[in-house]
Amino acid sequence: MQHELLAQPAMSVAKLTLAAGESVTCEVGAMIAMSTGFTVETTSRNKGGGGGLAKGLKRMFAGENFFLNHFTATGPNETLIIGPSLLGDIMHYPMTGGTLVVQGSSWLASSTGIEIDATFQGIGKALFSGEGMFWVKCSGAGDLLLNSFGSIYQIDVQGEHVVDTGHIVAFEDTLEFRLGKASKSLVGSILGGEGLVCKFSGQGKLYCQSHNPPSFGKLLGPKLRPR
Amino acid sequence: MIEIACPSCQKRYRLDDKLAGKKGKCKECGQMMMIPQLEAEPVIEMAEIVEDADVPIQSPAAAPRGMSQSASPSAAKSSAPTNATLTGSTGNFNYEISQRPDFSIVKLDLPSGGKVFAEPSAMVSMSPSVKLEAGFKGGFGKTLGRMLGGESLIINTFTAEGGPAEVLFAGGAAGDVAYHRLNGNSLYLQRGAYMLNSEGVEVTGKWQGAKGFFSGEGLVLLKASGTGDLFFNSYGAIMPIDVTGGFIVDTGYIVAFEDTLQYRVTVLPGLRAGGKIKSFFFGGEGLVCQFSGTGRVWIQTRQVGSFLSWVHAFRPTKSK
Repeated sequence: MQHELLAQPAMSVAKLTLAAGESVTCEVGAMIAMSTGFTVETTSRNKGGGGGLAKGLKRMFAGENFFLNHFTATGPNETLIIGPSLLGDIMHYPMTGGTLVVQGSSWLASSTGIEIDATFQGIGKALFSGEGMFWVKCSGAGDLLLNSFGSIYQIDVQGEHVVDTGHIVAFEDTLEFRLGKASKSLVGSILGGEGLVCKFSGQGKLYCQSHNPPSFGKLLGPKLRPR
Repeated sequence: MIEIACPSCQKRYRLDDKLAGKKGKCKECGQMMMIPQLEAEPVIEMAEIVEDADVPIQSPAAAPRGMSQSASPSAAKSSAPTNATLTGSTGNFNYEISQRPDFSIVKLDLPSGGKVFAEPSAMVSMSPSVKLEAGFKGGFGKTLGRMLGGESLIINTFTAEGGPAEVLFAGGAAGDVAYHRLNGNSLYLQRGAYMLNSEGVEVTGKWQGAKGFFSGEGLVLLKASGTGDLFFNSYGAIMPIDVTGGFIVDTGYIVAFEDTLQYRVTVLPGLRAGGKIKSFFFGGEGLVCQFSGTGRVWIQTRQVGSFLSWVHAFRPTKSK
C-alpha cells in the first residue's frame, strides 16, 4: 500500500494506492472517493481475523464505530481517498511489531497486518483523562493512519512529559501515563485552567494534537440555539 | 528546463538544466533557494500544471513518489501541490488563488472595462474605481434555476471603470477555490459551490430528477456553460480527479464535474454483486456517485454536514 497525505494540515486527506489483492481497513464513513475496482465489506471484526461481536462492542465504547469497512483492491493501482470528518491532520505511522495505543477517535485506517483492539485504561483515567474510556490498541506490522483535531506533533519522551487532557493522539506502549495535577496545589491547578494533566513516563514516542475538540465545542455550544 | 517557484514569494522561474543542484537568489525578494536536480519525469507535465493551474492528481507528475518508504513516523508536509498558489492569465483577466487550501482567496486583475460576475458577499476588497451593480442576471428562468440550485437570486457585477483594477474574492467557509476554463462545454456544480464567472459563462439550475433526490444534495444542480472563466469554492480542500473509465465519490464530497461524465447514484459496489446490504446500512458510506466516461471531477476533502452534526452535540438543551 502506498500512501500520500494531501492538503495538510487542516483539510488533510490520505490518498492510498493499493495493488491487486491488497486490502485496507478504514473507519466507517472515512471514504471520500475511490476508483471502481474495490470490493467493500462491512464487518465487526478484523480482516480475516477473529474479533466479532465482543471486539465490535469494545470498539464502540472506544469512540469508534462498531463496524469496520474493508476495502480490497481487485485490480492494480486502485486509488482510495479517505479523510476524517473534522478539520485536522493525518499522520502515517509505520508499524514494525510494537504496540501503539491510540486515543478513541483518532484511528483512521490500517493495513491488514495490524490488529486493532479496544483497551480499557482503568476507571480513574477513564473519568478524568478527558479522553474516552477505551483506547484503541494497534499491534502488528503494516501502515497505520491516524487523524487528529488540529495538527499533530511528535515528542520523544525520555523520562517524563506532561500533556493536558484531551490532547493525546497516540503513544507507544513503552510509555505509561498517570493523571496528576498541573501545579503543586489543587487550587492552582484549577485556577490555571489546566485542571488535571496526563504525566507520561518511560521511553517512547508520544503524539499530541494542537487542539482539543471538547474545548472548541464548549466555545461554540453556548452561542447556538438550544436544541 | 527546470521549473521552480520561490518558497517565499512564489515567483516562478524557468531555469536551464545545467543549473540543477546549485543555489540561487530570488530576484523578487532575495530568498535563497536550492535548484532541484532534474527528475526523471517529463518536464512537459510540469509546464502543464503551471499553465493549466489545475492539479490533476492522477497525472504522472503528481503521482506519489516513494511515499510508502517513509523511514520514520511523520506528520510531515508532503510535497503535494495542494498548498501551492495558483496563478494564471485568461483572456479576461489575470488571477491568483493564494492561501490554499485552508483560507483561499482569489485576486483578479481586471483590465480597464473588464467585468466579472460574482455571488453576493463573495467580494472581500477591491480598488475604489470598481463599479458594483447588483441585479438579476439571465432573466426569470435562469434566476429561478439558480435559486433552486442553492444560490442567491442576485448576482453582483463588478466593472473596472476608469483603468485597471483589482478585486479579491473568498468563499463563506474556510476552504478552497478552484478555477476552470469553459470552452463551450458545461460543468455541473454542487449546491452553493458557485463563486464567480467571467463574461460568456451562464449559470443556471438544472433539474436532476430522481438522481438528485437520492443524492441528498438537492434536486437541482447548478450548471455553468459557455466560453469563459469559472471559479468555485468549497469547505475543505478541492482536489481535481481526472476520470478515465470510472470513479466513485461519496455524494457529500462532490464539488463539480464535467458534463462529459455520466453519473448515477448508487450504493457501494460491494453491495450489488453479493447483495450484502450491510455496507449500506452500517458502513456509513451511504450513497455514492458512480462516474463513468472521461472528464474531470473536483472533490472536497471535508463536509460542512459532518462538522454541523458534531457541533450539534454541544448545543445547550432547552430548559423546560
